[in-house]
Amino acid sequence: MNTTRRSFIKIAAASSALAAAGSIFPGISFAEWKKQEGASGKINWHKAPCRFCGTGCGVLVGMSGDRAVAVKGDPNCSVNKGLCCVKGFHSVQALYGKDRIKKAQIRRNGKMVEVPISEALDVIAAKMKETIKKHGKDSVAMYGSGQWTIPDGYVASKLFKGCLGTNNVEANARLCMASAVTGFMTSFGIDEPMGCYEDIEEADVMITWGNNMAEMHPVLFSRMLASRKRKNNVTIIDFATRTTRTSQAADKSILFKPNTDLAVANAICYEIIRNDWVNWDFVNKHTSFHKGKTNIGYGTEDHFKFKDKPEDISFEEYKTFLEDYTPEKVERISGVSARDIKYMASLYGDPAKKVTSFWCMGMNQHVRGTWINNLVYNIHLLTGKISTPGNSPFSLTGQPSACGTVREVGTLTHKLPHGVVMKEKDRKMAAEIWDVPLSNIDPKPTYHTVEMFRALDRGDIRFMWIQVTNPMITMPKLKRYRDGCLKEGRFIVVSDVYPTPTTDVADVILPASMWVEQEGLYGNSERRTQHFDRIVPGPGDTMSDTWQIIEVARRLGFEKQFPWGEDEYIGKIWEEYRRFHDNPKHNMAPYKVLKERSGVQWPFVNGKETRWRFNSKYDPACKKGTDFDFYGKKDGKAWIWARPYEPAAESPDQEYNFWLNTGRVIEHWHTGSMTRRIPVLHNAMPESYVEMNPDDAADMGVANGEKVKIISRRGEITMKASINGRGVPPRGMVFVPFFDESYKINEVTLDAFCPISKQPDYKKCAVRLEKA
Amino acid sequence: MPILSYLVLPEAGAKEQLCTDLSTMEGCEIIPSDNEEVVVLVTDTPDEKTEETLQKSLKNLPSLQSLSMTFGHSAE
Amino acid sequence: MTKADKKLGKIATGFAAICLTGTFMVLSANAAPGIPQGFDSDGEKIFKRFDNTPLAAMTGTDGTRTLNEYYVLRQYPGSPPRVPHDVPTSFSGDTLKCLACHERGGYDPNQDAYAPVTPHPEYESCAQCHVPQRTEKLFVETEWQSINPPKLGLSEMGGSPPPIPHSLQIREDCIACHTGNAAVAEIRVEHGARGNCRQCHVPMIATEIRKEFSRDK
Repeated sequence: MNTTRRSFIKIAAASSALAAAGSIFPGISFAEWKKQEGASGKINWHKAPCRFCGTGCGVLVGMSGDRAVAVKGDPNCSVNKGLCCVKGFHSVQALYGKDRIKKAQIRRNGKMVEVPISEALDVIAAKMKETIKKHGKDSVAMYGSGQWTIPDGYVASKLFKGCLGTNNVEANARLCMASAVTGFMTSFGIDEPMGCYEDIEEADVMITWGNNMAEMHPVLFSRMLASRKRKNNVTIIDFATRTTRTSQAADKSILFKPNTDLAVANAICYEIIRNDWVNWDFVNKHTSFHKGKTNIGYGTEDHFKFKDKPEDISFEEYKTFLEDYTPEKVERISGVSARDIKYMASLYGDPAKKVTSFWCMGMNQHVRGTWINNLVYNIHLLTGKISTPGNSPFSLTGQPSACGTVREVGTLTHKLPHGVVMKEKDRKMAAEIWDVPLSNIDPKPTYHTVEMFRALDRGDIRFMWIQVTNPMITMPKLKRYRDGCLKEGRFIVVSDVYPTPTTDVADVILPASMWVEQEGLYGNSERRTQHFDRIVPGPGDTMSDTWQIIEVARRLGFEKQFPWGEDEYIGKIWEEYRRFHDNPKHNMAPYKVLKERSGVQWPFVNGKETRWRFNSKYDPACKKGTDFDFYGKKDGKAWIWARPYEPAAESPDQEYNFWLNTGRVIEHWHTGSMTRRIPVLHNAMPESYVEMNPDDAADMGVANGEKVKIISRRGEITMKASINGRGVPPRGMVFVPFFDESYKINEVTLDAFCPISKQPDYKKCAVRLEKA
Repeated sequence: MPILSYLVLPEAGAKEQLCTDLSTMEGCEIIPSDNEEVVVLVTDTPDEKTEETLQKSLKNLPSLQSLSMTFGHSAE
Repeated sequence: MTKADKKLGKIATGFAAICLTGTFMVLSANAAPGIPQGFDSDGEKIFKRFDNTPLAAMTGTDGTRTLNEYYVLRQYPGSPPRVPHDVPTSFSGDTLKCLACHERGGYDPNQDAYAPVTPHPEYESCAQCHVPQRTEKLFVETEWQSINPPKLGLSEMGGSPPPIPHSLQIREDCIACHTGNAAVAEIRVEHGARGNCRQCHVPMIATEIRKEFSRDK
């Protein structure tokens, strides 16, 4: 029997059951069935996670023949329950930009010429061999991405760390999630959020910390709005440095001066203790108090080194530390009124209210990113509002697999798929699974991202392979790192889908498969692993990033470590990778289950997903007989940290008198190389702009749409002013979206970073403005 | 190659569990009602033997209260 | 349900909606106090309207107004519509009288219709732009030609959310015109309950030429 006839009979079978149900239960409704009815018979639907942000919406890609023609929200995906945002709904159009890279290119006499992809792969392998021979193994590097699929990152790590023996593997998630990771590691000893998106419907209060969710996590934000509407007693507070769509929708908008969130978080803790809103039972059983180094620098100089020195302190010492952060003192630092600080504290402190905090780049791209992550955890720990439905400190991600690939596979210089290179036990495990000699894996981390590009500039690194990311837009203090790439004796390989400023500096360009043109897996913000099949055949010579690495690895003589066939490699890689996480704290779902479902959360233990970690009601990894078990730390406790307020690396002064803040808009994602090729999105947001406060603009005599020159100590850029546009910065601040390659705002930004996480701060530097 | 459809009633409060149970079973597709405690089940098995095994395991589901067939088709 | 029953039901819900109007006017304080007003095309109005409109009022589909009826009252797409119903000549221009029906909508038995909801209740001088029609005769014939109204269904692909084909100036409150019984049937959405409209629908002004994206190296 052919499939269409079979599915016809199945529809008839379902219809008769529905008819029977209708006669027995008048008014019965089957919403899901209605959706299927509406679909045209000519379109085949296939599940996938959305290509764009870290929310991890499930989409259904509609196929007509071998072309993707439509997108629906996946009703079976609990993340978005059938809804998408404008990017997701149009995501498949990003596959069909006219200037798609379909052939490999090699630079010959300064000009890029098209070559067969096998020739390009030969050149890459030969160049790697030659560079290692001449300059040592640490002169070759891989720079990947939170948009890498899990297999992409896994084979990159296996080739570089396991086979070549260099820890030169980094990913752009260093620029986006590193502070979240170090925040989790220092507070809990284990990475990734304890809660899940269901916290949204459970919470009574939601506070966004420097997080414009209405534009950056719109699907989650509409869940928040729907919950507030349904329950009628939900409060949304927007705590930010600039007024946005999120402030408009919130019940209250509170603005603070850049970097002073540190002081405010401490003041909230001060108030919680002063009013005795502390959940003593929880604090005594499950937390311990600590302090680290202070005055820790900003990393703007080459070879910057920092190592924190944690010391135990008592609760009394912590309480004394907080005396510098009374609401009145903090009002003077932060510009937030003591009344508003006390109000926020009272929301966190009210034992009858369930509180969830959300944050993303505002807290992570922060010169004290690790600290501010710690401090928000402190608030939730003091009040015991953690690891229970609706009580969640929730660190969101910005890229579809920042969690899945970079954090879980560990594609950072110090990491392995399980643990860190510094520990022999972890190296042993990796050597065994990877089938390489233990001595191959170097116990010393090399360069974090900023330092890696500095090493390229200095000449310590000679060969860099960049996949699925666009650092020639995203690196702060961009000019130095672009000049570095272009220096004599540097060899840059770029795998991408469209021409970008990064392919402009490449010596070899590899045509990459995009998203559903390959089989792969992502991991979203709530520990959800999401599998997608190869749904669309890719154009021309395009090849998945995973397969590109495998091809080069084999050319370098590592056939034994990369033995898989082209029709099975993703499943085989997944099952090999899964061995690293074979324990109840991190167990991943098997390949078969992932293929069937619209995402599965880990730890996946005995066939069950874990919704809330560290809570023995939900998490099988907790010790028996406990209510909570913070098993990431040796003492079984969550750590409360005394971390002071310290100012930004560069603050406005007489000469450079404005703050520069950068970020995104709803229409464009990351550097816009995909979203700008989607007609609806480009038409809605064709170019970037500088957002000004109306009073500052009036002082300068700048009208909406007139040009303004933004000048910092690093560079300058001229662009149109936007007044009362998408957002409104306070006086003394300007905001620029970074997506537009015609206006590279990172020429102006500063490469200061959090000394612990090494994540740069894109939200704060000093600029002056001129009317152009 | 039997195709059958049923109205399935869950045990009290076990509709979600029932949906989870059914959707993980080979050859089962479900359409849950969104306002009544009823689930429509369509089964599609390759042969009579598999069908029998499936029916047996359906009857043993603890989340399932009753099963009434509304459609049956068996093409040879 | 017989036809008569249906009508009765309609009147009852409509009446209830009109009665509610008074209460809701008090509630419509600013969502987030103290923030700058009027930025992002006054997007705050969508959130406010969303929060203050009962779900039932957003999901009603009983009205029968058509797009044709909608444009007949306008001289060109975007012009202020005429007032299609009787306005007592004694009407003094008291905004509250207009807003009694048009701020929140509801069924009016006299018109046997649902009152359209204004997207800009903050403009208080309604008669400044909206005038009734007292005669059908023209002073002299006109050679005026309007442009075509924006096309519906500008979705890029089957099922994708259509962009916003009209200017947002004083028509920024999506929920007012696109949801509920009073909405024009062709442009009514049944998923108003999702709240953040511009999460999926972005502006694309149909009268503007699409800009080509080009790379400048």
